[in-house]
Amino acid sequence: MSLLTETRAGTGNLPPATHLAPRLRGVFKLLRVAAVWEAFLVALSSLRANKLRTALTLMGIVVGVAAVIAVVTIIKGLDQTVAATFSSQGSTVFTISKRPRVITSREDFIKFNKRKDVTIDDAEAIFRVCSSCWQSGVAANTPETVKHKDQKSENVNVRGIAPSAMFDIDAVNIDAGRFWTDNEGATAHEICVVGADIIQNLFGGIAPDRALGQNVSIAGRPYEIVGVLQPQGKIFGASRDNLIYIPYSTYQKNFGAHSSLTIFVKTPSADQLEEAQDQARTIMRNRRGKTFGDDSDEGFTLETSDVFIDLYGKATSNIYIVTYLVAGVSLFVGGIVVMNIMLVSVTERTKEIGIRKAIGARRKDILTQFLIEAITVAAVGGAIGVLTGFGLAYVISFLIGFPVLVSAASVILGVGMSSVVGVVSGLWPAWRAARMHPIEALRSE
Amino acid sequence: MSDVTLASPPSPTVLPEQPLRAHDANSLISMRDIWKTYEMGSEQVHALHGVSFDIPKGEYIAIIGPSGSGKSTLMNLIGCLDTPSKGEYWLNAKNVSEMDDDELARIRNQEVGFVFQTFNLLARATALHNVELPLIYGGIGSSQRHEMATEALRAVDLADRITHRPNELSGGQRQRVAIARALVNHPSILLADEPTGALDTHTSKEIMDLFERLHGEGNTIIVVTHEHDIAARAHRVISIRDGLIEKDEKIR
Repeated sequence: MSLLTETRAGTGNLPPATHLAPRLRGVFKLLRVAAVWEAFLVALSSLRANKLRTALTLMGIVVGVAAVIAVVTIIKGLDQTVAATFSSQGSTVFTISKRPRVITSREDFIKFNKRKDVTIDDAEAIFRVCSSCWQSGVAANTPETVKHKDQKSENVNVRGIAPSAMFDIDAVNIDAGRFWTDNEGATAHEICVVGADIIQNLFGGIAPDRALGQNVSIAGRPYEIVGVLQPQGKIFGASRDNLIYIPYSTYQKNFGAHSSLTIFVKTPSADQLEEAQDQARTIMRNRRGKTFGDDSDEGFTLETSDVFIDLYGKATSNIYIVTYLVAGVSLFVGGIVVMNIMLVSVTERTKEIGIRKAIGARRKDILTQFLIEAITVAAVGGAIGVLTGFGLAYVISFLIGFPVLVSAASVILGVGMSSVVGVVSGLWPAWRAARMHPIEALRSE
Repeated sequence: MSDVTLASPPSPTVLPEQPLRAHDANSLISMRDIWKTYEMGSEQVHALHGVSFDIPKGEYIAIIGPSGSGKSTLMNLIGCLDTPSKGEYWLNAKNVSEMDDDELARIRNQEVGFVFQTFNLLARATALHNVELPLIYGGIGSSQRHEMATEALRAVDLADRITHRPNELSGGQRQRVAIARALVNHPSILLADEPTGALDTHTSKEIMDLFERLHGEGNTIIVVTHEHDIAARAHRVISIRDGLIEKDEKIR
């Protein structure tokens, strides 16, 4: 006698319906878990069985997600670098200059050019009168060709500053040697503090302290190096280390007193920034002969680094939107790939769907199975895509020289988006599979 | 002569529920005036023209007929894969003819065990997993599922093949896996469609012997076939021709 007889011994010949009903209700919750788990296992085994197809599908998603992640990572890194660069002076610094740092039209350029130069007299008036101004200084820049022996470097930013507190305001740090003293600075000595690129380009990358005491030639005059700055890195691919600081008095003597300068003011804390700006603005308006209520051009520009960051944001936001859209399109294409492959998968497995339906799979069981398959591919593709995207971002950042910003948000974004793509592109094929008639599905080969 | 041997001849003027409850309380299957009509373009094709019969519990019955006779349509209806265009079908005291897709899926899962000509096993799944499948859709927990599936495979003498995939099994072994799958949920009926159609004579005999044994153990078995020697193993034979019951006779 077979064992089947033994298993049926307790229930008689056949289990009656009344025996089945409570069992069904009792396991209703279990049913869903088991069916979902089954769907997941089926998805995995089907993905394993069709390796090439799975690889192609994955690639579709990986490319899409990697594009999005790389773009997000690079843009975030860029934003952060820009913010850090322009607020390296801190949110406690503002500047007064003849024209804004960013001019967006020719009309503005003409208007700003008609203004009077900001002079050392303006600066001294502010130093004297503004009580909320903590540290102040002036700076002027000119691009020059710099030489050392037979080495030459063009377009070096030569920055004349006074007093030496400007080093503090610019937030640069000394690597070797020293900053000059205010006494040295005031006597129009040919001394300089050089950026890291100067050592690299003109001294063949020797140890910074070995460059001390040597001369560089700027516009035909020799300057003695007294200090070397720590490297500051790049922004937009441009080095921030290709610069030479010289005392403002020396700058005035050798590069002319005609150029307008920029006044820098630092307050002890961000709270006092506004008050200091008000005082400085009043002083400058007075000096430009503006009375209270005169709404015509003030004749000078007072701005903080926030202003610049805002301008940067405005200038780049449209570019970013386009970039995001392009990345989004590649993810969309990835979604189409998944849908296409899922439709093929459903058609190929019509027989299997018929078998499953014949032995009791309901619509939602079949729907879940194919949906989970799509989501699994998409989520795995998303995870690989996130890693690829970070890799891509690192390579690009290495090539153009700024740090990337890897955030948990972009990981969640990548995996989340790909899962959404999985659901959206899996829904239609899964629905088609779920709706199949068992007899027709069984009949297919 | 066609309907003289009907177990309980239907009366077209009486509501179907009445005779079912009055006369057929013991019937596992009650079909009353079942029609199945297909639309073929603008034409209507009747695959079944008013078929009625009863099958009590524990019977071993063969449905026989040439191709195009409507026997496949009838099998699909008995197996709850389809619903009739007209008429009533009561299976285990439930009116199946009015159920929706998901309710039918539930009935197939709980009440019907299918055995197909081409086995219809999942190619990538092991024998054990194939047998577990109805239990998965029935919501049985994994340890109980494993136990039940193993027992069902042991009952068809395949205890040593549970980890094999269909392509590692012979035709007869595959059909026995399919039979284990059909029986694992303890269904009300075992419904076999040309179960030996893809098997050689020797293996066919083995499978038919297995059916006989299962019938001996109390299962209700319905075999749909066009082969007379297969039908001859049953205790009752219903012959279908042109969508009607031609003959319904007890042969043992």
